[in-house]
This record gives sequence, C-alpha cells and structure tokens, in this order.
Amino acid sequence: MTTTTRTPPKRTAERTARTGSAGRRSRREPQGAAWVFLSPWVLGAVVLTLLPMAVSLYLSFTDYNMFDAPQWIGLRNYTQMFTEDARYWRSVVSTLTYVVIAVPLQLGLALAVALALKSIRRGRGFYRSAFYAPSLLGASMSIALVWRAIFNDGGTVDDLLSRAGLDIGGWVNRPGWALLAVALLTVWQFGAPMVIFLAGLQQIPSELYEAAAVDGAGRWRQFVSITVPMLSPVIFFNLVLQTIQAFQVFTPAFAVSGGKGGPADSTLFYTLYLYDRGFTASHMGYASAMAWVLLVAIGIVTALLFRSSRGWVFYANEEER
Amino acid sequence: MTAETRQGEAPAAPAAPAGRRKPVPWGRVALHAACVAALLVMLYPLAWLVATSFKPADEVIASLRLLPSRLEWSNYSTAMDGVGDVSLTRLLGNSLLVSGGAVLGNVLSCSLAAYAFARLRFRMRRPLFAFMIATIMLPHHAVLIPQYIVFNQLGMVNTYWPLILPKFLATEAFFVFLIVQFMRGLPKELEEAARIDGCGPFRTFARIILPLVRPALITTAIFTFIWTWNDFFTQLIYLFEPEKYTLTLALRTFVDASSTSAFGPMFAMSVFALLPIVLFFLAFQRFLVEGMANSGIKG
Amino acid sequence: MRAHGPRVSCVVVTVLALCAALAACGGGSGGSGGKTVLRYSWWGNPDRAARTEKAIALFEKQHPGIEVQTSFSGYDTYIQKLATQAAGGDAPDVMQLDYRQINQYAQGGVLLDLGKQKDLRTGDFDKGLLGTGVVDDTQYAIPMGRGTQAVVYDAAQWRKAGVPEPRAGWTWKKWAWAMGRLAEATGKAGSVDPGHNEDWFEIWLRGQGKSLYTEDGGLGFTTGDLTRYWEWTSELRKRGAVSSAEQTTQLDGTVENQPLGRGKAVSDINWDAPSSGYEALLGKNPKLAPMPVAEDGTPGQYFKPSMFVGAAAKTSHPKAAVALIDFLMNDREAAEILGANRGIPANDRLRKRLIPELDGFDKVVADYQSGLEGKLKDPPQAPLQGDAALQRTLQRDYDQVSFGKMSPRKAAGQFVTAAKAELR
Repeated sequence: MTTTTRTPPKRTAERTARTGSAGRRSRREPQGAAWVFLSPWVLGAVVLTLLPMAVSLYLSFTDYNMFDAPQWIGLRNYTQMFTEDARYWRSVVSTLTYVVIAVPLQLGLALAVALALKSIRRGRGFYRSAFYAPSLLGASMSIALVWRAIFNDGGTVDDLLSRAGLDIGGWVNRPGWALLAVALLTVWQFGAPMVIFLAGLQQIPSELYEAAAVDGAGRWRQFVSITVPMLSPVIFFNLVLQTIQAFQVFTPAFAVSGGKGGPADSTLFYTLYLYDRGFTASHMGYASAMAWVLLVAIGIVTALLFRSSRGWVFYANEEER
Repeated sequence: MTAETRQGEAPAAPAAPAGRRKPVPWGRVALHAACVAALLVMLYPLAWLVATSFKPADEVIASLRLLPSRLEWSNYSTAMDGVGDVSLTRLLGNSLLVSGGAVLGNVLSCSLAAYAFARLRFRMRRPLFAFMIATIMLPHHAVLIPQYIVFNQLGMVNTYWPLILPKFLATEAFFVFLIVQFMRGLPKELEEAARIDGCGPFRTFARIILPLVRPALITTAIFTFIWTWNDFFTQLIYLFEPEKYTLTLALRTFVDASSTSAFGPMFAMSVFALLPIVLFFLAFQRFLVEGMANSGIKG
Repeated sequence: MRAHGPRVSCVVVTVLALCAALAACGGGSGGSGGKTVLRYSWWGNPDRAARTEKAIALFEKQHPGIEVQTSFSGYDTYIQKLATQAAGGDAPDVMQLDYRQINQYAQGGVLLDLGKQKDLRTGDFDKGLLGTGVVDDTQYAIPMGRGTQAVVYDAAQWRKAGVPEPRAGWTWKKWAWAMGRLAEATGKAGSVDPGHNEDWFEIWLRGQGKSLYTEDGGLGFTTGDLTRYWEWTSELRKRGAVSSAEQTTQLDGTVENQPLGRGKAVSDINWDAPSSGYEALLGKNPKLAPMPVAEDGTPGQYFKPSMFVGAAAKTSHPKAAVALIDFLMNDREAAEILGANRGIPANDRLRKRLIPELDGFDKVVADYQSGLEGKLKDPPQAPLQGDAALQRTLQRDYDQVSFGKMSPRKAAGQFVTAAKAELR
C-alpha cells in the first residue's frame, strides 16, 4: 500500500491521446468494438469511482455519524476544519514536512542504486532482487515493530550514533525525530522507482556516451549533460508518482505509531487524521470534507509540477513528432 | 549514501576500453563492495524480523539485541496452528485466492481498456482518457464508505468480491496507463495485416496484441500480486469471518490490546506470509525490468 | 525464444488461483440446509477463539436447528469493523460490545431490547452491574464478565527498594510518595504516567466526587479539574517518579509496551485480567493492588463490565440470538469452557462455582476481586457517544503537555473545548 506507484505523467498521457496510434489507422473500425473493450472500465468508473465520489462530496456538506441519516450543514465542516481545528493544521504541517523529506530521499536513493546497477554486469539480477526485497513487505505490523525496535532508545540506531558521539536517544518516541524514522521506512522501500529508473537508463543509447567520450567529456560531465536530460522524463514520472503517494501516506505512520500519530502529533499525517475523524470518531461528513480538500490540494501540486516540467524535462522525441 | 552515487556513475562510461588498460578493474570491485555494504544495511531490518521470530516472549519487544538468547521454536508451532480453528494452510489459500483473483482481473480488464485507449477510435476518447488518469490522484479514503455501501447493497460484504471485482473493472488506472504506453509502441501495420488476414478486433487483440505486450502484463501481474497480498486495509473492512481471513489479516489477531497478545508467533507468521511473495517475485522478476523498459514510460 | 514464457506464467497463476478457490470453498460451511444461521462477532486473541469455538460447538449440539458462524479480530480492528457493519445496516446477530459502544449503538437503533426477551435469564446477575447495560431505561446489553483497575507491581523490586507493599485504602498521596522512593532506589520510573489515560483520570476524578459525564449527557468536570490533574502528574514526571514522555507516548495498550513490560518502570496501572501478560515478561507472578483512594478515603475504583453481549435489532432470528446469549451467560458447561477468559463471570452463581477451579493468574485476579467486594462504589453510567474519540484526544493532548509543547492549563482547555463539541 505504501510504495505503490500509480501515477503517470499527464503530459505524456496527453500526447498519447493527441498523437495516439488509434485514429488514422483504424478508420473503418466500428466504434462498437471499442466500447466492448471499454465496458468493464466504464462500469467500474461509474459504480466504483464516480458514484462514490459524488456521495462523498455530498457527505462533506453534512453531519453524518454512520448511524443516523446525514444532516445538511452547509459549509460548516469546512469552516471548522480551517478555523477551529488546531490538530488539523498540525496534520497539514506534518504531511508537508514528510513529503519534502521522503520524496527527494527516496528518489535520490533509487536513482543512485539504479546508476550503480546499470554498470554492473555480473550479478545484476541478484542485486536488483536484493534491493527490491524491502519493497515486498509493505508496512505490516511486524515491520512496524522492527522499526520501533531499531529506532528506539538503546536500539541499533541509537547505539551506533551514541558510539559515534551523537547522543540523540530514540527516534520513534521523540517529536521531531519520529517523522524522520517514518520517512526512512518509505525511503527504504525504494524498489518501484528504482526499477523504473533502471528501465529508463537502459533506454539511453550508448552511442551518446561513446560520442561524448570521444569528445573528451569526463564522467561527471557525461552524467550532467547526457544522463540527466535523457532521464528527465523518467525522473519527472517518478517525482509526480511519489509526490502523490506521499501526500496520501497512511500505512507507515499508522503502523509505526500504533494508529496514534504520536509522539505529540508529529506523525499525525493527513490521511491518518482523516481516518481518525471518520472511523474512530464517526464524523464521516468531516472526514469526507477533509478528503475533498486533499484531492484539490494534490491536484494543484500536480498541476504545479507539470507547469515546472516545461523548464527542465527534456523529451528527446519532441521534435520528431 | 552519496558514496554510492559517485561509485555508481563512475563506470557508467563504456566498459570495454577499461579492460585493455587495467588488469584488475578496481572501479568495478569498489562498486561491488559499495553495493554489498549498502545491501547489508538494507537487509538488516529483514534479518531482525526473521531473528525476532525465534525470540522468547520476554525478548521480542524488550530486547534490543539482534540474536535471540535461545531459539524459541514454539513461535512457529503456534503460528502453524493458525488462528482460532482456522488453519495456516486455509489462511494461505485465502490469500492466494484473493491475490490470484486480483492478478487475473487486473491483467484482463486493464489490457482490454488499454487496447481501446491505445489503438481503437471512439468518441470521447480524449476526455475519458484524461478522466482515467485523474482517478489515480483520488485518495482512496474518500470513497471508502460509499464503496462499502455499494458493496453492501449488492450483498457482497464478507465475500471476496469487494476485493476482486474492482480489479475486473479496471479500477487500477496505473496499470491501464502502463499497458497503454506499451501498446502505443507497437508497429502500426499490425492491425492492418491482421485485417487483411480476416481478423476482427477481438481476434487481433487476443492473437496479436496480447502476446506482444507480455512484459507489461507480467509487470502488472507482479505488482498486483504483491500489493494485493499486503493490502491489509481493504481486507480488514470487507472480511468478517475468520474462515475467510487472509494471512495479512490474521497477523493482526495475534496482537490484541485487551487481552494477552502473542508477538512472537506473529513474527513467525509474518515470515510465513513473506514466503509466497518472495517466491512469486523471484519467479517473475526477470520479466520485470523488461516490462518497465518497454513500457515507453520515457514518453 | 521465450514463446512459452507468458503461457507458462498464465498457467501458474491460474492454477494457484484455482487451488486457492478450492481451499477456500472446501472447508466452508457449505450447505446449511434448513438451519437457522446466526452470526456472532467478538474480539479477542487466539486463545479466546479456541475456547469460544468449543463452547459454540456445545451450543450447536444443544440446539441442532441453529448454526453459529463466528467472527473475531483484535480489539481496535473489531471496533472499527463493527462500526462499518452497523453503518451499512449489517450488524451481526449477536455481538460482543465494549462499554464505550453501548450508548452509541443503542441510540443508533442497532441493538435489540433484551429486557423484553422472556427466554433470557438474568436472575443471577448483580443489579448494579446489570444496570451498566441499560440505556434510556432499556436493557440493550448484558455484561459478560467484570474487571477492575489495579496497580500491578513487581514485589521483588519493591522489597529491594525498601518500599512497603501497597495496602487497600492507600491514598494517591501515598502512591506518589512510593513512586518517588522507588524511582530513587531503582533508577527506573516508579510507575506509568497516569496522565495519558482517561480511565485513570476517571478514578482520580471519582475520588473527588465527580465523574467524566453527567446524567444529562454533559461533561462532568471542568478545565480546572483536568489542569490540576495534569499539573500533578507533570510534577511527578519531572521528578522521574513516573515514566518519561518518551516512554508514555509509546503506550498502545499491550503489556509488552507498558514501561513495566519494557523494564523501564517497577509498577503499572492497568486492568486486572490483561495484566496476566506480565507473567510471561516478568518471570514471577506480578502482584495486584487496589487503586489509590482520595485523601478522605473516597474510592474512585469500580467494577467495570469488561465486555457486554448484545443482539442486533435487525436480526431475523431474535429467538435463536437470545438462546445463544442465554447460553453464554448462564450455562454451567459453557462457563467452564470459557473460564475467566472474558473476565471473571458476571453471573454470581457461575462465579462462585468457577472460582475454586481457577488457577494461575485467573486465580490471582479472582482473589483480587473478591477482596474488593463491597468496598467499591457503583460503576458510572455507560460512557457517552463520542467517548471513544475523546479517549484518544486526551492521549494526544497529554502528549503535548508531557513533551512540553503546551502548559497543562492550555491543553486542558483545548481538551474540554473538543469534548464539549463532541458531546453536542
């Protein structure tokens, strides 16, 4: 649930739609066939996505405790959220902090390992599987307990750090450090972006490097002027994907903090608080309002990322098409 | 971790000429050493998990040492007994059923939808495609209760349908997109040739397109299997009877705040729960990067 | 030529799926032709599951026309799942309930009026305890067992520290003094910090003659009360007499994560039956002592129904559901099978019969409870709807206090505001 990577770059998607191979060729294809292929998706989109979304939008304007019928209260959930709920704002701050820490760390590590693996011939399959192994686990109860043991007072990390003269104490039980411990759990499971980076690296034509070497470019130079630009669409893809994931982070914090989001609300992430309001406190209306605010926020952030991508993402085949 | 970055880039340059100049490829040796060192750190928590499954009760939480003072095999025998009167094999079977069903559903429905989006012409294609992409952003907590109500109305609560049916309806847009990207890269002449041979769109899809997008399908299968296997939350909400519990769900019943919990057996059972996904991954992982590489993510 | 690749993997996947399907359908309850099928849900651990299954088998033998499908999970999971089910109009026929759920479920129309069921025998139950299952003058639930709060301690460490073992009637002042002495002598905290838990606050509050909630559904205490309580616990915490913020924040209800379980403290405040977990952790028998009382001797402690059983208002088999409840509450053989796993039985007749047969920690708990008989005040009314959320809010607000992010007064004010909004 945590390292799931499900978001494609919209830009690419749009281009698919624009230049997609469908139209011109299959002109004589009856439209009916397309709808037959699409029918499962259409059914799912209507019954399991659109309908529930509409219901939750409606609920966000109501007081609904799951037992009695929902009561229309207009914008009160929203005003309460923005003006009266201090804990809500703490959850917003924690989530943003988490996004800013976890996403760059995870992508950086995934890229570093992918680069290393790219130049390894012998045993690459082994390394790839081994580095992927943590990502197989999700954030289960047992992993959470392991994490708590390692990052607790006197745990492995505390032990190593105090030997190095850094006496911080436990991480999971200290506000300010607990968030980092939770973020490291996500970072540790960098398998999916790593695999995607590796795939992207393998697509960079080796002639480019050969030509650069002939021109006398050093390795750093090659990295900056070939690898980074050629890889930028994949970097962008992973960035969008992981950012959206990070905004919705739930399981690592839920598991490590035992559902409380402690210590002192430092890992009370947005969805954790949403879950708490909805399922522990039975305020489904309030929870639905929170979900819609999150949806809009993610939409804005994604749009900003796409806007920024024009500046730094390089599409090799842009001119060809 | 910066060390690896530099090590990583170093030999990124052509490897061939290096061999001629130096008899011992020190760069490569250093790279392997760095990878192994990084792996040791990465796999330490896994070692902890396995080691803890052998710890006696008083060491599971309190002890901060990796290795148990003595091997406590009873954790495993307790875990083997399953939960209540539900056996371990039953739990394993349930998990396989749910994950297997999800794999089948996703592969089938996502490739169908992807084919329409990638290679067929129909009205509203562009807005529908954009909508599909947008659904990836949806926080699933937002639609949890309404979805529950839908499934409850259909009488499907406490069955596997709420876990499997959505996969047959291509609700995982990420995979649809992945396969679309892949199909887009296939040569344009395929369908024309097929039509000349007298194939309709369905036969073209089944006989020609599907075999060619195999890596994408395998990628979909692996991720679906792993994610579904680990998806505690949905299973928790929809399954009530212990006979229907999955392994992931049963793990939770070992820890109960209101009565005595059994952390040791829980760790032992997590090891059992891990085995199938490790096997599945090892069996199919060689297709994984191939699948990713050809998916045309590059844009 | 890897042409076989996909086909082989497809076959593997299909075979796996089919195997699983067979496994999953095989052992199922198959054809329940003509039988009344009851769903019974409860929370607990695997041991409770095994005992319950055995008792249910006996029930099915006594009532050949009824088949019982059981369902269980851990407490937190159960609470949330039941809420989702009830919201969907799909509550199980018979369900185990927590004190904190009764009010909400009764008012939400989820529960059946058990007072009207003539087949349900309640003659052997203590009237005060039975009254805890009453909401709006209607008996919606029956207490299954009872438990009470306790100071759990490691007697050996206390002796070594030279602190006399607690006696009935000790006051909070004496308790605080003992914790300070223990901390000085052992270098560990004396006890868990009681500030984080609404349950312990309630006992302290009742000692002052107040309560968490009033009869008419309001808050029974003021910001001032909570401030005084938290200032007192904070003072103890700063002296090291009770556990540090870093320890307290990790509490999750399991004994393994209490400071006593981690070896960071020499005593604990807990419920009596769940303390059995300390046997495995501490090696020797942990001892139970009564909770401290107020300076004027008013006890705050009470016998709390550890759990209830109720039936769904919408059940299509009310007779069968009541028969199952009656069996669980009154049947002698069932009581022997279930033992003290759901708390010492609330049924007086069965309790008297069961106590001599108990051994191990069950006996410790039974003896502890009989020593308290008649010395405690009546339990408070069932907690109000919204209490479950407030319990967690209180923990979080106290985290703010113990990590020094808020003053006790400010956090208490925040809590009281939230509580009033919740109870509105």
